[in-house]
Amino acid sequence: MSLAQTCLHDNHVRLGAKMVDFAGWHMPIQYTSIVSEHNAVRERVGIFDVSHMGQIFVSGKDASSFLSYVTTWDVNKLSDGDCRYCHILNNDGHIIDDTIVYTFSNQDYMLVPNASMISKVFDWLNLNSSKFEVDIYNKSEEFFCLAVQGPESLRLLRQYFNLPIAPFKLTKSDDLIISGTGYTGEKGYEIMGPISESQKIWESFLEMGAIPIGLGARDTLRLEKGYLLSGTDFNGSQTTLESGYSWVIDWNHDFIGKERLLVQKKGEYECLSGILLEERGVLRPGLEVYFEGEKISELTSGSLSPILKRGIGLSYLDMPIGSTVNVSIRNKQLKGRVIQTPFL
Amino acid sequence: MSEIPDNLGYTKDHEWVGPDKGDGVKVGITDYAQDSLSDVVFVELPNVGDEYQRGEVMAVAESVKAASDIYAPISGKILAINEKLEESPELVNESPYGSGWMVLMKPSEDRSALLDSDSYKNSLD
Repeated sequence: MSLAQTCLHDNHVRLGAKMVDFAGWHMPIQYTSIVSEHNAVRERVGIFDVSHMGQIFVSGKDASSFLSYVTTWDVNKLSDGDCRYCHILNNDGHIIDDTIVYTFSNQDYMLVPNASMISKVFDWLNLNSSKFEVDIYNKSEEFFCLAVQGPESLRLLRQYFNLPIAPFKLTKSDDLIISGTGYTGEKGYEIMGPISESQKIWESFLEMGAIPIGLGARDTLRLEKGYLLSGTDFNGSQTTLESGYSWVIDWNHDFIGKERLLVQKKGEYECLSGILLEERGVLRPGLEVYFEGEKISELTSGSLSPILKRGIGLSYLDMPIGSTVNVSIRNKQLKGRVIQTPFL
Repeated sequence: MSEIPDNLGYTKDHEWVGPDKGDGVKVGITDYAQDSLSDVVFVELPNVGDEYQRGEVMAVAESVKAASDIYAPISGKILAINEKLEESPELVNESPYGSGWMVLMKPSEDRSALLDSDSYKNSLD
């Protein structure tokens, strides 16, 4: 099967990016080095091509009640211009995908699912829409998405668009949707629109000084903040409660999966926790976690924090914060501490 | 274009072996290898006194993305390790043939299994 390419694919190749297969897409993992790109976003400003992510539009009379039903958030409570991170659950309360709901009006919304989940989310929305008067369009192939992230991102946005954009708010400028969102934990923005406009914006932001950032640094940036990676930290068999994201649930509304979450809430369950390595080493997904000599879990995510210069990882554990565990790396047991994310 | 000094011996797995001046040979990874790995953030080195057969895993270099085994390019005993790599693994990227060396070995075999710089260069093409 040939890999899909974003509208900026050739730009990445021209910049000398190392290209890899990511969720069926031929994507840049790094342009220069993951560590220098990571630091550029934490200290200055970087730009990411995340056009592989989806854009699903939901409109109609019942759009807000429909989206409230299929997500963990009460979308009825969102105001025009609000962007809200939440989860889409199946009937068992398991996370299908995490997404941001963009509110254009109370009859007009956009969801941004992860690349590998676009068709699954689209099908799931359609499957559950029969009682609602809504239109659902998948426009993922018509849209680019660029993320401009880092402390200097506001300056660049102002320079280019001359528009005020607050965190978790969106604004429209001609065909473009610009929002105060991102997945790095830094101040940042995402720009979406028809792919014909992508070249100009990409080139302009590079000229203004944004550093191109690959998926490698995107992963270390999100992991330092404890953000979930779809398909890795959840893969269809974990609930929102287990993922440690109970804050994305509005319990005062009815939504798919709620009943199972209410039952789970009363009992004990494993929760995705941070592990900070206390010895030198790099954590990797799949490494085994031990407590008092017994294997208790595996890491879902793992890397080295370029800022902390320590191994960091995520794992589903039923262990109190502060516990000491061991992570097995090449048959050595290295000491780690269970911590509340974010790491940084 | 990666740098391949003439005076070193090489393996197809991208290790280099320094000239033998009678007090052991230095071993490290090539410029090509450090560039492919990019951002070496952790190096696990063997213990002084350990003995390795040619081709055995003797060290691991980890980048942010992946861990790569480093094989003994020549059979022999570890005489010393580059302790600076514990604090500064990035030396492997900055100076793969200089301050980024990994171990000092006392070879127990001759260098006939090693590639010269031209052969190593050809193996990269």
